[in-house]
Amino acid sequence: MLLVERAILRTLRRPAAPLGGLGMSLFFLAVYSAGIGGVGFLPQFGDGGYLAFLFPMSLVSLAMGSAAGAGQSLYDDMVSGYFRRLYLSPLHRWTFVAAPIAADAVATGLGSLGILAAGLLFGVPVRFGAMSVLGLLLLSLLWGVTLSAFSAGVMIRTGRPEGARIVTSTVFPLVFLSTTFMPRELITAHWLRAVSWANPVTYLLEGMRYLLAGTAPAEYLLIGLAFSFASAGAALAYALTGTRRVLV
Amino acid sequence: MSETEIVRARGITKRYPQGTRALESVDLVIHQKARFVLLGPNGAGKSTLIRILSSLSRADSGQCRVCGLDPLRDERQLMERIGVVTQDNDLDPHATGEDLLRFQCRLFGMDRGSSTHRAQELMELFDLSEHARKWVKTLSGGNQRKLHCALALVHRPQLLFLDEPTVGMDPEVRARFWESIRRINHEECTTLVLTTQYLEEAERHADQLALLQAGRIAFRGTPASFLRLYDRPNNGTIGRSSLEQGYLAYLGEVNHAAR
Repeated sequence: MLLVERAILRTLRRPAAPLGGLGMSLFFLAVYSAGIGGVGFLPQFGDGGYLAFLFPMSLVSLAMGSAAGAGQSLYDDMVSGYFRRLYLSPLHRWTFVAAPIAADAVATGLGSLGILAAGLLFGVPVRFGAMSVLGLLLLSLLWGVTLSAFSAGVMIRTGRPEGARIVTSTVFPLVFLSTTFMPRELITAHWLRAVSWANPVTYLLEGMRYLLAGTAPAEYLLIGLAFSFASAGAALAYALTGTRRVLV
Repeated sequence: MSETEIVRARGITKRYPQGTRALESVDLVIHQKARFVLLGPNGAGKSTLIRILSSLSRADSGQCRVCGLDPLRDERQLMERIGVVTQDNDLDPHATGEDLLRFQCRLFGMDRGSSTHRAQELMELFDLSEHARKWVKTLSGGNQRKLHCALALVHRPQLLFLDEPTVGMDPEVRARFWESIRRINHEECTTLVLTTQYLEEAERHADQLALLQAGRIAFRGTPASFLRLYDRPNNGTIGRSSLEQGYLAYLGEVNHAAR
């Protein structure tokens, strides 16, 4: 808990990354909704219109914005040498990596609540009330932990600051190769439709849509949850086992 | 390992990936409460040996016990018994000295009250009280070094490794630093294992020394016994040479033999 407290305090001292992620998410939501929201009358968008359809994108992009925090925090400690000082304490080594990931999760959770509040204010429907909010929060957190832990894992293994950015830039195309902006039926290119089928981010987004306006079937939520738990678990295992190899 | 031994190393060998030999079959015994200095030219393997004994690095072969523990298998228990001051200042530049000390105390399981008390104690010991609230990045090199040492002492370790601890300190700060370290050695019976390039410090503060040369122990004993072997005073008076003169005489012989 001590290390988590320290990591959260560091995030609060340098809030640019989480606040930037929150700002960008809301900006994208406003701009895309204003720009192409006119298609929201089509039946594929359901009763919620385009804003409700696009809303999961803002949660996903928020997590991407907050995810670099753990990698950056570890990099700072490695450069200053403080990581070695932590290493020379009687704590379990995996805690040094788990703490900044937990701080990222807190930032992602708070940011998601902010976006959800904004969404509710602008009339985004939540199909199951508080249960939907909790479900959206859970999916958003799992996605955030996945990205944060992968970036921390790359950072701890390579010792290079690019590690955090590599993960975000690898995942970024997946967001565009899914049903982020259009339902699958309205995607005109066959190849993109095929790719979106295989892209797990699609199920994360569709799972969220099931909880919002209900435009996706319940199975997609289950697949989205399974993918999110599996990817978060794999990413955590990758990051936490990395401390065995770290050079101090 | 006898009861009075705190470090026992046998056959420690370490090579770096490029094939550079760092240590070759190093045997070493250090007794409790000793002030043990490792001497040797740059690259002789002093820091590597300290890193291996403190579990920061893994030897290719050989065995060692530190405070009765295996540094690789029992690293968490070992951390409760040793303090390590590495060559670099391992400090968080975005914290104050007081915060860092208190946090370090908490990492070793102390409650908030005890942490504050211990942090103040160490700041007084190292003359850091007036800098307690300053950001670490604004402290002078010497004060950062002292803070680094204070962090290694929060949990009252039985054994303190000091790798070039006084680099960057001015003579006055250095003298006061050694006064604090000696006090810890006397009052808390902390064993000191240090490396230094300031031979007058080694002469004044060490009661045992080992000389590392190209990864091997070339001499082991007391400073006095080293001087008996390499007594080459400048003024020709037998028995008056300093450790530095003896060390230079030793290096001269080594270089001559190498030619």
